[in-house]
Amino acid sequence: MSRRGRARTRRIGIGLGLALFVAWTLAPIVWALISSFLPLRALTSTPPDLAPGNFTLENYLGVLSADRDLIGGLRNSAIVASFTAVLALLIGSSAAYALARLRVPGGGKILMLILVTQMFPAMVIIIPLFIVLSRTGLTDSQVGLMIVYLSFVLPIVIWVLKGFFEAVPRELERAAAVDGASTMQVFRLVVLPISLPPLFATGVFAFIEAWNEFFFAVILTQSSAKTAPVVVAEFSGQYVSLYGQMVAAAAIASIPVIVLAIVFRRYILEGFVEGAVKG
Amino acid sequence: MADVELRAITKRYGAVEACADVNLHVADGEFVTLLGPSGCGKTTTLNIIAGLDEPTSGEVLMGGKVVNDLTPYERDVAMVFQNYALYPHMSVADNIGFTLRLRKRPRDEIRRRVQTVAEMLELAHVLERLPRELSGGQQQRVALGRAVIREPAVFLFDEPFSNLDAALRVKMRVEVKELHQRLGITSLFVTHDQEEALSLSDRIAIMRDGHVEQVGTPDDVYAQPRTRYVARFIGSPQMDIFTGRLERRDGITAYVVGSAAFEIPGEAAPTCDGELDMGVRAEHVRLNAGGIPMPVRVVQPLGSMTYVTIGWDEELLTSRLLGMAHFSPGEAVTVSLDPAGLLFFDRESGRRVLPDGALA
Repeated sequence: MSRRGRARTRRIGIGLGLALFVAWTLAPIVWALISSFLPLRALTSTPPDLAPGNFTLENYLGVLSADRDLIGGLRNSAIVASFTAVLALLIGSSAAYALARLRVPGGGKILMLILVTQMFPAMVIIIPLFIVLSRTGLTDSQVGLMIVYLSFVLPIVIWVLKGFFEAVPRELERAAAVDGASTMQVFRLVVLPISLPPLFATGVFAFIEAWNEFFFAVILTQSSAKTAPVVVAEFSGQYVSLYGQMVAAAAIASIPVIVLAIVFRRYILEGFVEGAVKG
Repeated sequence: MADVELRAITKRYGAVEACADVNLHVADGEFVTLLGPSGCGKTTTLNIIAGLDEPTSGEVLMGGKVVNDLTPYERDVAMVFQNYALYPHMSVADNIGFTLRLRKRPRDEIRRRVQTVAEMLELAHVLERLPRELSGGQQQRVALGRAVIREPAVFLFDEPFSNLDAALRVKMRVEVKELHQRLGITSLFVTHDQEEALSLSDRIAIMRDGHVEQVGTPDDVYAQPRTRYVARFIGSPQMDIFTGRLERRDGITAYVVGSAAFEIPGEAAPTCDGELDMGVRAEHVRLNAGGIPMPVRVVQPLGSMTYVTIGWDEELLTSRLLGMAHFSPGEAVTVSLDPAGLLFFDRESGRRVLPDGALA
């Protein structure tokens, strides 16, 4: 085979592989989207009745008018996820910079400890966590959920940002020190501004983690602080499961995350690429 | 304005001694270069002067005061870094004015001073650009500007030209020298490029393995190197140094290298005989002016001069001739050495042997 022929076969191979991967990833989402436009009867018949005439917006209308408070859930999710992301960046970037650049006594051990916290399965910590939160009166509260989510995303944020800060040329910080900047000024005026891509990337990551989280939310919130995933899940009840409404609610709940990913995609990609090359 | 003094500066990283008892005095307004190969401790020394590194022991003095406990800023030093270290997210104007901004100078004073510096360094037309939109030479000048705007007591340069191409390097050399002549600010310049050191400095400190091997004017270190190491490090092409023998027979003194015996006039040879190394620079090797017949090995025409390398046994000797000299490989020439340019070194210690037989 000629060289050009081989290159072409290779391209086709890669294309096919990617297409397969995309199909694999998108299939459930596409199915969910289709289901959200079908009435329950069409959905539960075997095989599902996909006749175009069946398509309807009734699930969406039903979700928004239902007595289950999807809007409230979305609002709770937005508050919890936003604060989690912002706090994760504030705390995480300071911690990461200190661990990357300052002589922190036992820095290596601290880093390992931070990682170790990630190793316990959620099942193991949920009960103690619930007891702690209920004794401090933080169950079914946005603050309580935020604290829990922060403890999950912070280790990852710290590790990612630490890697990035270490890749910032040391001479840049030395130049700023010679120019008269204090350590805090070096961090604030030089290191942070040039670290925007990884900051955005990790911020979006923290937001999505908090937005999508279900397990802890369903156990730690009962009514007023319920987040969107919990509300969505409640469409499938003990006596009746409103599948169409459930996926419609899920579709609505996905919109903010998708918008976020699109808005910040340049930074997210840059953040990942730079992390890969420099780290 | 200040002089800089290093007293017994030692810096250890674990078992490695980056600086070993470095003593140096740089007079007010003087331009001194720390010269040496990578790993000789010159950058560490500079960082210690800057206050970016702490010495393990020893004192740094500026203007007669010990400054060991002061920050770089309090020492009033400005530094130009090897990779420029420009703030990538700031415009040229903000880069140059950053230090004034940190000092909370009024906005219009900053603008005025940035403008003055930019005009001096021919950056006025790029003030609004980001560093990545500049050429290498312009980036280098922004780094200079950032240092100059401070009007510091001491300038520190850490291999500032090593990322530039050869032509630009020579151009920047002129600019830095002119800057120093105009401002007269005490300057310490680190480089591994001996030509840069020779061309810029009032005095050069040649470093080796963490200690200062010799401090002297460019004339001194070039013509009167104290050790074989300095002799080899300074000058291009590198000085040819032979491991032969100084012999005296029947009133004639000769330096014997393999099958060749170069006759040395009595006054040029040290009084001690025997196993000495002998060094000679290319400009002191004369061709076809009498002497020993030898074949030409390699000819390198460089325009304004020509290097002609002669060989015998395993030995090579390079001669520098002015202009374009025409020789061909294999051609026989006669070789003699200018006695004024001969240097002798003790083989063991590497130290230079003076005509009276004493070690330098």
